[in-house]
Amino acid sequence: MMNSGFDRRDFLKVLGWGGATVALSGCGNGSVEDGKETVVSYVEAKDYVIPSISVYFNSTCAQCDAGCSITGRIREGRVLKLEGNPDSAINRGKTCGLGQAGVQHHYNPDRVREPLLRTGDKGEAISWDKAYALIAEKLNGVQGEEIAFLSGGVSGHLKVLLGNYLESLGSRNHYVYEAIAPAVLRAANQKSYGAEMPRFSINKAKVVLSFGADFLGSWISPVHFSQQYAQFRKGVDGQRGVLVQVESKMTLTGANADRWLPVRPGTEGILALGIINALGTASGDIAAAVKDYDKQRVSKDTGVSAEQIDKIAALLKARTPSLVLVGGAAEGYAHGSQNAAAINLLNHVLGNVGKTIGVPVSVPFPQMSPATGNTAALQALNNSLAAGKYKVLFSYAANPVFTAPTVMKFKDNLAKVGFKVVFAHYLDETALQADLVLPLDSALEDWGTQVPEYLAEGAQINIQQPLMEKLHENTRGMGDILLALVKQRRADAYKDFDDYYAYLRNALLQNKDALGGSGVDDDYFWNDTLSKGIVKLAGATGNLSGTASAVGLTLPPPAAADTQYPLQLIPSINASLRDGRHTNQPWLQESPDPLTTIVWDSWVEIHPKKAAELGIVEGDIVEVTGKNGSIKVQAYLFPGIHPDAISIPLGRGHEAMGRYAKGYGVNPFQILDAVFDKETGELAMHETRVKVSTTGQRVIVIKDEGPVGGKQMGRKIAVRVPSNKIDLSKEI
Amino acid sequence: MYRFISLSILLLGMLTATSCYAADAPQPTQMTEDDLGPAIEQPIEFPHFRHAGDRDKGGMEINCMYCHTYARRSAVAGIPPLQKCIGCHQSIESVRESPRIKKLFEYWDAKKAIPWKKVHDLPDFVRFNHERHIERFIMQQNRPFQEVCGYCHGNVKEMKVARRQKLLSMGWCVTCHQKDHLVRVADGKAIGTQAYWYSMHKPPVDASGIVKAKGPNDCSVCHK
Repeated sequence: MMNSGFDRRDFLKVLGWGGATVALSGCGNGSVEDGKETVVSYVEAKDYVIPSISVYFNSTCAQCDAGCSITGRIREGRVLKLEGNPDSAINRGKTCGLGQAGVQHHYNPDRVREPLLRTGDKGEAISWDKAYALIAEKLNGVQGEEIAFLSGGVSGHLKVLLGNYLESLGSRNHYVYEAIAPAVLRAANQKSYGAEMPRFSINKAKVVLSFGADFLGSWISPVHFSQQYAQFRKGVDGQRGVLVQVESKMTLTGANADRWLPVRPGTEGILALGIINALGTASGDIAAAVKDYDKQRVSKDTGVSAEQIDKIAALLKARTPSLVLVGGAAEGYAHGSQNAAAINLLNHVLGNVGKTIGVPVSVPFPQMSPATGNTAALQALNNSLAAGKYKVLFSYAANPVFTAPTVMKFKDNLAKVGFKVVFAHYLDETALQADLVLPLDSALEDWGTQVPEYLAEGAQINIQQPLMEKLHENTRGMGDILLALVKQRRADAYKDFDDYYAYLRNALLQNKDALGGSGVDDDYFWNDTLSKGIVKLAGATGNLSGTASAVGLTLPPPAAADTQYPLQLIPSINASLRDGRHTNQPWLQESPDPLTTIVWDSWVEIHPKKAAELGIVEGDIVEVTGKNGSIKVQAYLFPGIHPDAISIPLGRGHEAMGRYAKGYGVNPFQILDAVFDKETGELAMHETRVKVSTTGQRVIVIKDEGPVGGKQMGRKIAVRVPSNKIDLSKEI
Repeated sequence: MYRFISLSILLLGMLTATSCYAADAPQPTQMTEDDLGPAIEQPIEFPHFRHAGDRDKGGMEINCMYCHTYARRSAVAGIPPLQKCIGCHQSIESVRESPRIKKLFEYWDAKKAIPWKKVHDLPDFVRFNHERHIERFIMQQNRPFQEVCGYCHGNVKEMKVARRQKLLSMGWCVTCHQKDHLVRVADGKAIGTQAYWYSMHKPPVDASGIVKAKGPNDCSVCHK
């Protein structure tokens, strides 16, 4: 936010004068450093190491769980650039912006560099020996059920090792928490199709009807789906695919859709049943379930016109196969599971199951398959913490102090744990609450294996390997730490492994035959595996066993008007910032939000009509108040949102986590109500109702978007329409 | 109020300007061909004349590229890894106890890199490519390597610690790029595979079939 007064023109003028005078000084030749700069040569150099010539190593992107394979460019021993590895069926040589920023996770100046032990408010740097001894001491005499391990999604050998460690402690309290995860969808898919994550073939569909699934931005495996989307647009049998997006807040996918339908928040399921009704092809209990959902009623409930419902039904009838997707926008309600079930039912009715919804493949080592995170785990952990059940808590790859709604009082409950160990790259909000912080190697320094939840084609195990030497001497890989910890309990079983590298190598070589290396020399197999960065193997395929049934499907009527809190808060997911774990990568802060082009700050999206009603203009600092607190944030008028909803992006608003994250924007997680999905117990992210009031302050919104519409080189490239005159639901 | 801010920044800029002149900031040197760079003290006084010098003057006539092996493979010549020095010196007993070699082995035993100081440096906006020049003049035109390296680095085989001999300014680079260089020999055979007419028109062909062309003069060749 920049307070007006000192405008851009003045700023440039001053900059110009200052710059010109410095340029006059003749200091410009200062980059020649004969005799001053040291040129350090190698002591011993491998043959392939030639200064100024890059070498490339394959690894796996750790920026999200999609499991894209990457190729790092390394020059003079430093990793400079990450690109996609073409051999992976998941990303086929491509990466997203989030993946590109992975180098900034590695080189981040705010990484934790020493083990830190809490003394009062400060962290005192201690040695690793002391840290391990301390953990052993604190675990001494503690029962297994008094120990808990909180982690983000884990897979591969790290999951195996973690499981073994917990088993050695006698603890079964492994909480896998991801603040933004399609957990409701998994449960609904399991019921509808008999598989949590069936394979979606957007590229085979002729129509995609997506209920808020932002598959081009942040949904499950966005790089993979973006490529499918490109094929979908090229068309099957010469028919260009048509994308219809139904959601209350426009996502990147919605912005690319042929038709974008703003739906009243929470009524996605009703619309799905209305479409089934309009199709008129259902029979049996499904027909009975949808018979009340006639066009007039659905139109009244959802705000989507009867004409549009007819058009969609006609489109779906005319073009088969189609594909209907469920996204976070439909999941995030107390009836999220019901919404998802209703939408999945549409796929059954349209006969898409088995055509565009296919059988998933899995890695034939179930112990390595991913432990997927959800928010029900957070609630369970929080309840146990509140009851004071745990004496020791470990936390890895999760930041619940930042991502848990304040009303859950997670921070206070966490304080009841006697000894908290946080494995951290940065001092984030959760690490600041720890008694012991153990610094981790970056994802570009560490060893590991990873199995993605969504496998694009065949089964594959991704290899993560260091792309360069460690930047900081006293960081350790998560695998190495777990190995050291498990050795404290079971020294004999792990005595053969000096480090996690040895453990991994041994584990993969033991299963060489199953991994496609039968009859191959050990060293050859290992080197080959590392150079490829992916192990492709024969996967186990399941069956789609779900049946089409509307039994138990009950959708609540749309929420009644609330006079005190009239607006629905949609915490939106930005493709780069997601749940805020990478907010301290400045490229991500700097890359403009695809829809609003705002950088380095949060905003609240308000429909122009609603804004006019409330007397709000762009840049007004407004206070968004819910039952559980309020936040102040700049307003941005945005026609791509339902007038009864407002949206604030997640990810910003950190109170810690280093110079690039702390103090930028606001954190909408804070004001969320603790409403949970009735079936799965997942946090219903979209169930918070708020009111908006002006504060009298106004700022200039920092964004890339031009002030007077699209002008380029003096040529007008798009006619500017006043934003309150735009109807985005109209066909393009 | 903002006028004061701009004024103060202007003054600050001018102050920086004058102080830069006053301080011993590196200034562009005079445009003379034999301008010597500063004499640089190195951690080990490496005797180039002993290694590369002529046999009758006590040298061993080692090819520059035996040690500076990266020059023909990469844009930068690089400094040889310590391993290279040790490779020979571990079996040269006669000088094993000399002070310089003792120091060399101290670095090796500690597995520490020698902190050499840069002798030849170009501004960061200039990309000089060693590989291309070696390819052109040594590999294709088959000129003596000491002559070719010496165009820019001077007569290193007679130096002890290397010192910059040439200006290495843009004007100095251009003097050579404006000369006519052989592209086709008398029988019309091309030297190398690359086309060498960089200017707008084809270079003239003389009666004997010899073609000469100037070096590249596109800005982007060096200023990427």
